[in-house]
Amino acid sequence: MEKKEYDAVILGGGLAGLMAANIVAAAGFSVAVVSKVFPTRSHSAAAEGGIAAYIMGNSDPNDDPDFMSYDEVKGGDYLVDQDAAELLSKKSGDIVNLLDAWGAPFNRQPDGRIALRYFGGQTYPRTRFIADKTGMALLHTLFEHSTGFKNIEYYNEYYVLDIVKEGNNVNGLVAMEMKTLNPIYLKSRALLIASGGIGMMYKHTTNSYINTGDGQGIALRSGVALKDPEFVQFHPTGLYPSDILISEAARAEGAILKNNKGERFMAKYAPHKFDLAPRDIVSRSMTIEIREGRGFEGGYLGLDLRHLGKKYIIERLALAYDAAKNFSGVDASEEMIPVRPAQHYFMGGIDVDTTGTNHDLNGVFSAGESACVSVHGANRLGSNSLLETVVYGRETGNTMVEFLKSHKNVETNSNVDPIVDAAYAYIKRETGEHFGVLTEELRDIMWDNVGIFRDNDKLAEAVSKIKDLRVRARSMYVTDKTSNYNTELFNALETRNMLDVAYTMATAALNRTETRGAHFRDDYPTRDDQNWMKHTLTYLAGDEIKISYKPVTYTRWKPEARVY
Amino acid sequence: MEEKEITVNIKKYNDKDGAFWKSYKLKADKYTQMTEVLRRIKSEQDPSLAYRASCHMAVCGSCSMKINGIPSLACRTIALQAVNEKNEINVESMDYYPGVRDLITDIDGFYDKIYKVMPRLIADESVLMGENEQRMTPEDQTEVWKFQECIYCGLCVSACPSVKEDEKFLGPAAHAKGFRFIDDVRDTKKQERIELLMDSAYRCTSCYMCYEVCPQDVQPVIAIKKTKNYLDQYKGDTPVTVMARKHDDTIVNLIETTGKIKESTLFLKTFGFGEAMRDAVDMLKTGKFKYAFEKDSKVKNMSEIKNMMGEKK
Repeated sequence: MEKKEYDAVILGGGLAGLMAANIVAAAGFSVAVVSKVFPTRSHSAAAEGGIAAYIMGNSDPNDDPDFMSYDEVKGGDYLVDQDAAELLSKKSGDIVNLLDAWGAPFNRQPDGRIALRYFGGQTYPRTRFIADKTGMALLHTLFEHSTGFKNIEYYNEYYVLDIVKEGNNVNGLVAMEMKTLNPIYLKSRALLIASGGIGMMYKHTTNSYINTGDGQGIALRSGVALKDPEFVQFHPTGLYPSDILISEAARAEGAILKNNKGERFMAKYAPHKFDLAPRDIVSRSMTIEIREGRGFEGGYLGLDLRHLGKKYIIERLALAYDAAKNFSGVDASEEMIPVRPAQHYFMGGIDVDTTGTNHDLNGVFSAGESACVSVHGANRLGSNSLLETVVYGRETGNTMVEFLKSHKNVETNSNVDPIVDAAYAYIKRETGEHFGVLTEELRDIMWDNVGIFRDNDKLAEAVSKIKDLRVRARSMYVTDKTSNYNTELFNALETRNMLDVAYTMATAALNRTETRGAHFRDDYPTRDDQNWMKHTLTYLAGDEIKISYKPVTYTRWKPEARVY
Repeated sequence: MEEKEITVNIKKYNDKDGAFWKSYKLKADKYTQMTEVLRRIKSEQDPSLAYRASCHMAVCGSCSMKINGIPSLACRTIALQAVNEKNEINVESMDYYPGVRDLITDIDGFYDKIYKVMPRLIADESVLMGENEQRMTPEDQTEVWKFQECIYCGLCVSACPSVKEDEKFLGPAAHAKGFRFIDDVRDTKKQERIELLMDSAYRCTSCYMCYEVCPQDVQPVIAIKKTKNYLDQYKGDTPVTVMARKHDDTIVNLIETTGKIKESTLFLKTFGFGEAMRDAVDMLKTGKFKYAFEKDSKVKNMSEIKNMMGEKK
């Protein structure tokens, strides 16, 4: 097997991975960025609305970083580690200025400074944006910046198989070139997992086809914990029927959700913040409206932009306007956009502290959606995912630099062949089930049973069905026997990862007998601070999930009722 | 929702069997995107089908292919809008790039051209140190953003005839990217960028294919034309730009003296006597030589034209 050695291997070429790659490379270390897609195809590109930032001298005069942290803590229903939230807010202005210096073309105010607007759950407007393609513009900025470094090597369209361990230290990973199926061992003493989310395990998701929890899957299999995997965000405004995201920017700019009676129903559920209440609250309210018969035929509601005027809509919400037009045949300046909630974000992830370090396996770091720094708690606020990727991408990059300075590459004794054999086994097998059958079943189970409203029966059923799927997945087989860009093999490997991650999610959701943020239990409809003010840690031990707990870090905000 | 049965003909390819067409039947409604059609074919009928797709909302640029012969993003194509009267759709991989498997092509050559234009902002040191804030007018931001909207989908290059003929032409996408930085007031490397792009800019034939196929309306050909506006600041002349200068100067001179662009004179002055004679022989052979000496009417209000040209300077 081909083998190459680097100081750091970064799995994922999205915003978090590229930010860290730039930081580690700038310190002079060699970096390999491994991704199953060319970096600009990463899901970061799909982030639309913006990035929240308090910029000194260019923010609301009444605002300050503490208000921002408070919004995050309350938005996350007090499951947020408050030191993490404070760090995120404190460094937000600085990071936006850095992105600007690297070329991000932020929308401007008439005096040439960076513009800002309101987003859900914000006390003061803080969202900085680049039209409504903020994620794409930032991703391109970081990727383009990275082309200036000779010590970053890209392994584009390489699929990760598993982590290589040497005792309790990480020693790189094994990946496969997708074009040829040739395996390669990328050896390194530091590994950053920045592989994004898990959306494809849900029937309705705003996520890209590539979001299959690969990083979380390989982490679980090497004994690394996922923290708070029961917390999944459902975005209120997925376009009906394609589930393409209609950005929260639409409501930030004044769009209103309406039911089939033409009522602004959010007035009932969030009398102060209306349509700009946090996403978990809006998504639940919409589901109730649809369930009680106030939706439109087919099960959707209306997002009304008409009063904003065509010119303003096209100028500020071009992507939403185009998406509605191209994918639902609706001219948003004349008709309401048909929307319904869809899976959007995974708050849980690889357990790391505020330095991005995981403590289960030496040398493992994680950042972005694949990580759980506990900055979003039980529900993420809009504009904070982009912010997290770059702030914690940089923090983690800096941590890795210090780690690399004090650690030498370790010798390899382990045999990495079994990792490759396990992948080839799907091709060698002559009978069994196709990945397609298993993923379709998983997507239904997760949507129906581990969705917006949960209860004991649904979750217990989900756990048992996923267990069964994992058994069936062992005899999954691939009909395509060629080594010529065999995408079927990679779909099978993705299915393996999704099943392992889904298993922890359903198990943790069944275990948490309270309602908090996006985790809503019909059978336990209130928050239970006495018993559940703690993080869940899930480990995959063979066929079992082991659950333990970790305290929430407080600095200054005591839990209070969450009213909007 | 009402569904219709459609037939999707896909040109498959693998190293062993070469290229062959295969047909699939499935049901689609009026909102079904071609990315979803492909996903369902793969998941339900032919797991071996290979294609690229990621965001399904036209921001990642993965699903570039030819649909009914037109370079398109699959996600931007609604199946029922693309079918012919027999409810059929033909899907193939992009032109120009080497085929790898089914709808997947090798577009490394496309990326390499973008890397050549120094595709990153080089800000002033004081800004990078955080000592200075960068400002930019909303109008400047709009102009930069227009060309920054490129999603690396590669469709423009697959449709560009000049790229195929002239390996020194960087192609439409790289030019849009390169010009986006020329145009950015925050950048400090304007002159270097002009030197990088000018020769290549004049290798574009302005056929507008890139303008036609770009799913983001980036208009790369406009970026190329805007780059040419910097010809006066360009220092490193090449045979191509020398000819470009002659061409530009001759046009200005002809308009000033005759009020018209006289094609034969323009040709002679731009390409020189030798080249013109070689072409004259070709024209004689094809019977087109007579057009070289077509008489045309004289412009009457020359003084008005001279005034206008004077104002321009």
